[in-house]
Parts: sequence; C-alpha cells; structure tokens
Amino acid sequence: MIMTALNSILKGRRSQPHLLIEVLQDAQDLYGYIPEEAMNAVSRELGVPLMKVYRVACFYKAFSLKPRGKYVFTVCTGTACHVRGANLLLDQVKGQLNIEPGETTEDGLVTIENVNCVGACALGPVVIQDGAYCHHMTPGKLRKAIDKSRGKKKKERAHA
Amino acid sequence: MQQYVTLKIDNARVKAVKGASVLDAAMASGLCIPHLCYVPVLKASGACRLCIVEVVDNGRTKITASCTLNAEDGMVIYSNTERIRKLRKNIAELLVAQAPNSRAVQDIAVRCGVKEVRYPFRNDNCIQCGRCVSYCTEYSKANSLGFVGRGKNRHVEYPLGFRRDLCKKCGFCTEYCPMSVTPCGGPMKAGEGRLCGNCDSQIAAMEHFSGICVRCELGKGFKCVRQTYV
Repeated sequence: MIMTALNSILKGRRSQPHLLIEVLQDAQDLYGYIPEEAMNAVSRELGVPLMKVYRVACFYKAFSLKPRGKYVFTVCTGTACHVRGANLLLDQVKGQLNIEPGETTEDGLVTIENVNCVGACALGPVVIQDGAYCHHMTPGKLRKAIDKSRGKKKKERAHA
Repeated sequence: MQQYVTLKIDNARVKAVKGASVLDAAMASGLCIPHLCYVPVLKASGACRLCIVEVVDNGRTKITASCTLNAEDGMVIYSNTERIRKLRKNIAELLVAQAPNSRAVQDIAVRCGVKEVRYPFRNDNCIQCGRCVSYCTEYSKANSLGFVGRGKNRHVEYPLGFRRDLCKKCGFCTEYCPMSVTPCGGPMKAGEGRLCGNCDSQIAAMEHFSGICVRCELGKGFKCVRQTYV
C-alpha cells in the first residue's frame, strides 16, 4: 500500500536528488509521518544516500518520524505567544492528556506539538488545530477543542 | 603545468600549489599550525576551529580557519600571534571540557598552552570533529554515518538509528577518531580541571622553546599530518 501511494508522489521525480525535500513533504502529508519504508524507497528512487534522507527528515520540524495522531494541535511558543501565556496552554495539555509536547496519546488520537513561531504574533497565543489557526487561545478553549475532537471520535466508534 | 602562488606565513615566504589551503601550504613547508579535524585525503570541514590564523587584508586582520582558506598570491598570514594564541587556547579548553578522556585532545590542548580547564567537564566522548563522517561519505563511500539532529542535540548516528548493514566495515571511522587514542596515565576528572602530570614537562618545554612541536604522539592511530613532516 505504501509503495503504490509513493509511486504517485515519485512520478516524474525519480533520479533527481534536489527534489528530496519536496518528496518528503508530500510523503509527510500523505501518511502524517515519514515511515521507514518510505525513507528507503525515496533513497532508492531519488539516488540519495539513506543517511542524507534520514538527516534531512530529522533536521526539519515539519517532518515527523513517529506516527502522529488523527488530530494534531500545534502550540506556538514564540516570544509573543509566550508572553501572552502559551506556557499555560502547554500546562493545560500536559494535565489533560498526560503527554509531553511532541508526543501522541496512547489511543493515537491527539498529538501535541510546539513550534517556535508561526508568524501570527498579533493573534497570539496561537494554536493550530489540523491546519486551522485558532487565535487568542485560552486554556479553557483549548480544553474544549481537545475534548470535542476526542469525543467526536468516541461517538463515531459507538455508532459503528 | 602546475601553478604556484607565493604567500607569507609568519614572515616566511612560502610557495604553494594553486588551490591548496593555507594549512596545507604551512604544513608542507614545515610550519606547524595546530589542527584536529583536518585529514589530508578528505575535504576540509573547518569543524574544530583549532587551525585559526590571522589574515592581513587591507591593513586589517581577520581571523579564520586556515584549513578552509585558499592560499592566494601575496597573502600575509600570522599563525602565532598573541591574539591567536589566546583564542586557540580557549578553543582547546572547550574541546577538552567536551571530551576529557581522549589523549589526542589532551595533547592538542597542551600544544595550545592549556594548563587548566575553566569549564565544567561534559564527558561526551565526541567533539563532533566529523572525521568519521567525512571519511565514511567521501573516501569509503559507504554513507553509513552522519550527523543527525541540530543544536545541542547534534550527534553522529547510523541512518534510522540501526542500519549498520550499510557499513562496509573498513574500520577507518574508529581509526580516525581522536577518541580512539586512550587517555594518558593521569586521566582528567570532572571538577579537577587539571591536565595530568605527564603533560607538565611538555608545557615546560613549550615555555622554553615557543612554537616547537611537542611531539603530541598523534601519529599513533590518529594520523596527524605533522608526523609526515617532522
């Protein structure tokens, strides 16, 4: 399954080492993380040593080597957001889900990440929920958002 | 036909092949600039910063690593000024603090005039000189080692953390590693911040004849360029 999806990503990009980051970004979008098989395949098809693929994947925060949850909450901890209480948001998350930033809950539903700035300082503190920017976040609002995403999944399970 | 350039290193006129680095030129003519990460067969990376020199440019001096500096005609280089010695000593001290259990690093530090280390010891056993990585990628073409992570988490690792099967088992990563030279009799301990007794005599020699090579025994296993010229 991994190979068929990868083939569409790699189409027209084979043997072009300079497209490495582009291909990895597409793989990240496709799987939500970069699986080992994908890294091996990218290394083989682009003609880039596996070491280099691994190094690039480790270097950028946009790439994740571990499977991520269904819902990804990215908390901005840049200067402006920090001043406006981003650390309170992180504390809220730690207390509610019992995980550290960068980890995924045991049921594989929610991943919490922290980044250093998302470039929306006037809206701070900012939390990105699955690609949507949520401005002026408070611990209460964040708790509700997380509860909602987890609860929704539970309901879906109950119906099934 | 090979083209040559003439430059001045420590007031001595030195002839060098065009395209060679300043460090190459200095070593070839017997002038010893301390260095650690530089290996002749590999591309210079300028990782250890021990080989810093002063370059006079338009009456101003600029400090830069000599292993990555191309020798040009009419260059004026000083490798042993007060300023350079002070900076180099500090760099050597930081290297010892990072990895105190290596004979090679200790010896280099002694060569740079370090008597006491003012920094807390980290006992990391890696100074990230990149010798193993560049040998693996450039010379043995195995690409099985590389730097992973960034900032203070940067370290040498196999791809995916376990892919040792890419390794060709040439063993040169350990041979070129400055950590592979076992520490001398009095290993330095964290907190003590003092070089061992054996090195004291070498420091004494350094004070009497400044600028001499203290025969840091780097050639044994560590492959110092100096051994070929001394």
